[in-house]
Amino acid sequence: MTFSPCAVIPSRNHYLGIELLVARLRAEGLPIIIVDDASSEPARSTLAQLDNEDDQISVIRNDVNRGKGGAVLRGIEAAVDRGFSHIVQIDADGQHDLEAVPALVDLARHNPDAVVSGVPVYRDGQAIGRRLARWLTHVWIWVETLSFQIRDAMCGFRVYPASAVLEVARDEPLGRWMDFDPEILVRLFWRGVPIAPLPVNVKYIEGNPSNFALIRDNWRITRMHFRLVFTMLARLPTILRNRPRRIRQTDDHWSEFEERGLYLGLRILAWIYQLLGKRICLAIMAPVVLYFYVSGGAQRRASEAYLRRIGQARGNPFRRLRLSSFKHFFHFAALSLDKFAAWTGDVSGETIVFEDLAAIDRLTERGEGVLALCSHQGNVELSRAMSRALHAGLVVNILVHTKHAARFNRLIQKFNPEAGVNVVQVTEVGPDTALDLKQRIERGEWVVIAADRTAIASAGHYSMAEFLGAPAPFPHGPFIIANLLKCPVYLLFCIREGARYRLYFEPFADQVRLARSNRINDLKALTRRFAQRLEHYCLLAPLQWGNFYDFWAVPSNEPENAKG
Amino acid sequence: MSDLELEIKSLIIETLNLEEIGPQDIDSAEPLFVEGLGLDSIDALELGMAIQKTYGLKFDPDKDDVKSHFASVRNLAQFVAAGTGKAASE
Repeated sequence: MTFSPCAVIPSRNHYLGIELLVARLRAEGLPIIIVDDASSEPARSTLAQLDNEDDQISVIRNDVNRGKGGAVLRGIEAAVDRGFSHIVQIDADGQHDLEAVPALVDLARHNPDAVVSGVPVYRDGQAIGRRLARWLTHVWIWVETLSFQIRDAMCGFRVYPASAVLEVARDEPLGRWMDFDPEILVRLFWRGVPIAPLPVNVKYIEGNPSNFALIRDNWRITRMHFRLVFTMLARLPTILRNRPRRIRQTDDHWSEFEERGLYLGLRILAWIYQLLGKRICLAIMAPVVLYFYVSGGAQRRASEAYLRRIGQARGNPFRRLRLSSFKHFFHFAALSLDKFAAWTGDVSGETIVFEDLAAIDRLTERGEGVLALCSHQGNVELSRAMSRALHAGLVVNILVHTKHAARFNRLIQKFNPEAGVNVVQVTEVGPDTALDLKQRIERGEWVVIAADRTAIASAGHYSMAEFLGAPAPFPHGPFIIANLLKCPVYLLFCIREGARYRLYFEPFADQVRLARSNRINDLKALTRRFAQRLEHYCLLAPLQWGNFYDFWAVPSNEPENAKG
Repeated sequence: MSDLELEIKSLIIETLNLEEIGPQDIDSAEPLFVEGLGLDSIDALELGMAIQKTYGLKFDPDKDDVKSHFASVRNLAQFVAAGTGKAASE
């Protein structure tokens, strides 16, 4: 793709500081097209005077106000007529930091198929109302694109591939007013145009009038978002097929930004959850679940295979497997929502029913450390959170073998700093981890580990055990740890029952001893017994199964994230 | 055989419940794992824990070549000696 950029500046009554803007762009070597969107005096004459063919500055005028989008499109058409391939769009009010122009153009040159989109960094802070409006827009855009790739859709400081924009304008009814900037970005994204974000400083210039008509433009923008969401749902297959490649920023602070964004997103979701209740949250999430259902081919097949086995095991097959599988996805989303409750410590005694509370009381009274085996059946997060709530001051150590552990830990800490939960990441248990865990058990702490998933690092360390009618791999790791810790082993299941959860806490072994001579058979017997109990709870609540991968497949060296 | 090597042999036998053999049956130079004594990775964990606990040492998988420390009783004795200041051999 050739790259010959041209700046397009739409202006309606903005003329203060425009000479500076023009001079700066010319200094960067950019030809300029100014579109005067039916400005009145004195803006009209000031803009007209800038026209200078020798210096590659031209001024076009719309005699009737056609809106910012109309003006930009007119400018792009004129630029394409003159043979330019890329459009640097800049607002005339001088709010964009021109220092960013070289970087913007440079990023576009390296990604000629992409839109380079400025992401505003507000130096002086922003009024709370504006900030809220921005966040609302972000949420809309996330839903419309089913992606976090568009970091800011409102910022009019961008570089477009001109032909792509004109194609959209030809095929679609584009908003021509303040709704233009977000809409064009979403529609380009839908067509597979990648978005390259670039942070730019933004400030408001006093003196220039704002062309934002509060009620009328907000109404236009709201209407546009509704239209986009419905269009997205109607065209979902095409949109998913066209998903553009992601352009990664090497800049370090972006990962921090992403983390902050994620945390903020979760915060907002938790807040909406508290405000609106679960039903409405689920309604909002429905399209997202649908998206995961439609796009997640492997997960969908895994879900259907699992449900088929459940049907066989209980002698009562699911009559409509596809619908049941969608429900399975939906349950997964619902369980995820409950995690917020668990993380924030917002779990009252009423939402949890204990099966055999006396057994737990006896344990905590003795102050004895326990190894609890959990699984991805039911709400594993909640059972973790609950095992902590069982007894004030009880310290629970959760062993996980993913690198998400650190992030998860941070999130728990942020939501509920008093949570006495340690998330310990173990890819491989070495002598020091084992000793550390043993000391924790001796102090009366609990260690929780999932015993249903085989980790990549443990190639070979698993046994095939009968599970729902066919042999499935179960990891040895948890039982090897049990053998080292020499403490009582319990099973922990947290199953949803209507609006409540029932926590099952059942003894598994007083102590696991792997006899040297008979080790492999001991491990086989233990995994078999665990598989039987897991099957029992799966049949109790089939749709609460959280393993969206081929559970029966013999482990290879697949990456961990292939597991749902 | 050094005192430390003897000590470690006793520790191995005690930790891993190797009832049928005595310290004199273990050759200081012979491989502990697979061939030789025929220990496995589960034993290695238990033994590692016992060594850490008894001598107050730490295995740092990033720095130490843990595998070679566990290759034989002699290597273990050298590792313990280096960590505690005890004499590995006389």
